[in-house]
Amino acid sequence: MNWRRNLFCYLMVAPALIIVGILGIYPMLDTLRISFLQYDLLRVMSEGTPFVGFANYREIFQDERFLLSTMNTITFVVVVVGILIILGLLIAEMLNRDFLGRGAVRTAVLVPWFIPPVVASMVWTWMFQTDRSPINHVFRSLGLIERNIPFLTDITTYGPINLPLLAVSSVRIWHGIPFVVIFLLAGLQTLPKDLYEAAEIDGANAIQKFFNITIPLLKPVLSILLTLLVIGGLGHFEINYIMTRGGPRDLTNILSVLAYQQAFSFQRFDLAAASSMIVLLLTGPVAYIYIRDQLKD
Amino acid sequence: MPKNIFKNKISRRNFIKYSSLTAGGLAVAGMGSGFAQSKQAGSIEFWSQPYGDVVAWQQLMSELQSEFTDETSIKVQGEAINWDGAFTTWLLVSQGGAHPDIADMFWLYSHAGIGGGQYGPMPITQYKDQYWPDLNERFFEGSLQDVHYQNEFYGIPWRGDIRPLMYRTDHLQEAGFDRAPDTWEEITEYAKALTKRDGAGNVERWGFAFGSSTPLQALMPYYWQAGGEFMSSDGTTATLDNDAMRETLTWMRDLVWTHQVVSPDFMETSYDPDNDFITGKLAINGSVSGDVGRNYQREYPELDGLWDFEIPPMGSHNRASYSGAGYWGLLHGTERIEESLEWMSFLSRDENMLRLVEVSGHVSPNKNVMQSDFWTDQPWKLKLTETLEHAHTSQHPSPAWGKLAVGEPGGVLYDLFFDAVVKQEDMDAVIQRAQARMQEELDKV
Repeated sequence: MNWRRNLFCYLMVAPALIIVGILGIYPMLDTLRISFLQYDLLRVMSEGTPFVGFANYREIFQDERFLLSTMNTITFVVVVVGILIILGLLIAEMLNRDFLGRGAVRTAVLVPWFIPPVVASMVWTWMFQTDRSPINHVFRSLGLIERNIPFLTDITTYGPINLPLLAVSSVRIWHGIPFVVIFLLAGLQTLPKDLYEAAEIDGANAIQKFFNITIPLLKPVLSILLTLLVIGGLGHFEINYIMTRGGPRDLTNILSVLAYQQAFSFQRFDLAAASSMIVLLLTGPVAYIYIRDQLKD
Repeated sequence: MPKNIFKNKISRRNFIKYSSLTAGGLAVAGMGSGFAQSKQAGSIEFWSQPYGDVVAWQQLMSELQSEFTDETSIKVQGEAINWDGAFTTWLLVSQGGAHPDIADMFWLYSHAGIGGGQYGPMPITQYKDQYWPDLNERFFEGSLQDVHYQNEFYGIPWRGDIRPLMYRTDHLQEAGFDRAPDTWEEITEYAKALTKRDGAGNVERWGFAFGSSTPLQALMPYYWQAGGEFMSSDGTTATLDNDAMRETLTWMRDLVWTHQVVSPDFMETSYDPDNDFITGKLAINGSVSGDVGRNYQREYPELDGLWDFEIPPMGSHNRASYSGAGYWGLLHGTERIEESLEWMSFLSRDENMLRLVEVSGHVSPNKNVMQSDFWTDQPWKLKLTETLEHAHTSQHPSPAWGKLAVGEPGGVLYDLFFDAVVKQEDMDAVIQRAQARMQEELDKV
């Protein structure tokens, strides 16, 4: 009977739904609730957690740190996702061809994936340390620079861009490239070869084939990848937190790090909840588009 | 139409039966796991951060717990709280989260303030005379400040965090100095002589670092040395806008930018003066945790004889050193007060406190321990004891202190030092801004 089959199906997915409900939906709803309360740990005992409406949202939107972190988050996502997609496409395209040592190169590309983000962050923090950086050493040896580059501490800004933010972004790109390459490589391997053969007969060169065949056919894969990277980028935390704690002076701070600091460093769970809701608002539309497309398929 | 595969396989009765069995099984499994997690009957739960060699520390804790159980029949369930999560753990405990009966804690003022007498650290004043009648005679006065809050007694200080100056003897000899710097002026003079650069101006060795640990903890003692205090003695008034602060910030700014003998990266996470010191890229570290002496002996024997400690330099007013005491205390909500006090009393015996600091490498707030052979057999250890005489408590009489002293962007004091020293913004404006922000935070609690 139909009800029995449905019941069985629901029973099978129930554990997963329960886990998502407890660890995902409930905290999200509770965070939303807290964002409308005064929830300052230092005042909970004396004043409780009164309802304050949108006061927390007003406060964070008047906070320069929040505005800077929002700008940094958007810049971080644009830089990381943009470069990841372009670089990933180039590498995947290369790895999709036959050449001597392809297996070794494929393995090498995957290496960053094997390194936990925490370890990668620690290693790259050392790599970027002004006085000890091996990168500076190599650059100096090659005569490219005279003075060491303060990768993580230069406070000069160029609009929304600054060197520490680019340095942290580069680590995220380095760590994210294997995922992107595998994703795109899998997509490339499904493309029909006869289209390329036909294009060759018509005299198309490599660039024309790439832009007129590869990219259009990869669009579905690219859109899913783009969505996942944007969602991951907006909620990114560990590399920024471990490498810089948001410094120097918030130049690498992003919303998830700011929310963590507001809660656990400054004991303001209300402001942290409001900041987290802004992250949710930013990721929500992207996630909606992704889910809608998935359901369509 | 395909045949319904469920029809013959599972009847409604069987479905209900199997579902019930599955649910029952899960419930039993859950109960089993719950039993495994719950406290053993007749035991107390004790949380502690690890110190020194982690394996040796765990071994010592196990030994102490066994000895205590043999003596009293009270079992102790020990749990290690990793330092990475310790601050969050105690914040949550003070908010009513899961807690042990007794623990190794720190920042009493903040956690007691957050707990508001309902959660977190529990005062044990009424048991003080019964268990520790000679407390004032046995412990250094400064360390006892850290376990008293609003005239209540909260526990026994066992771990001293005192921060002397540390220097490379080989570097100083090379520059022609036969002793460590003793004043701010001498620090400037020494650091200028000790800083080395290559032809392009890249630093090969920094002359001076303000200190290790989080940047703020390293910077605080200099303000105290100039005669400043961050807040009034009742914790209600911010006291940043004064000559002592201007003097401190000016001296720091000069070291970084005028003399260029301190790395301008000194407030960043990536800055690591300990590593610089070990690798010979730093000559003098102005404030290091006292336990590095023991750690260096164990982990860097090749540096033996190349480093030494000295008491903090003399500022315009005194030689204050950053100081804090980790303490054992009970938590609100414990139902095993007597047993926990027995455990604390056992741990606080002189011989046990000595065993603990022998492994952790920390100075002890216990006077008898500091007079033991362990703490008097080498010159650098005597310097630590001497530094204790210049201890300035790192705790401040406001629950907001922990928040004010966050060593990350956005913290009131962090932003003050960063804007004034690193960014070289207008000093008066920076100080006035910090004063106003700090006062606002103090007014809230």
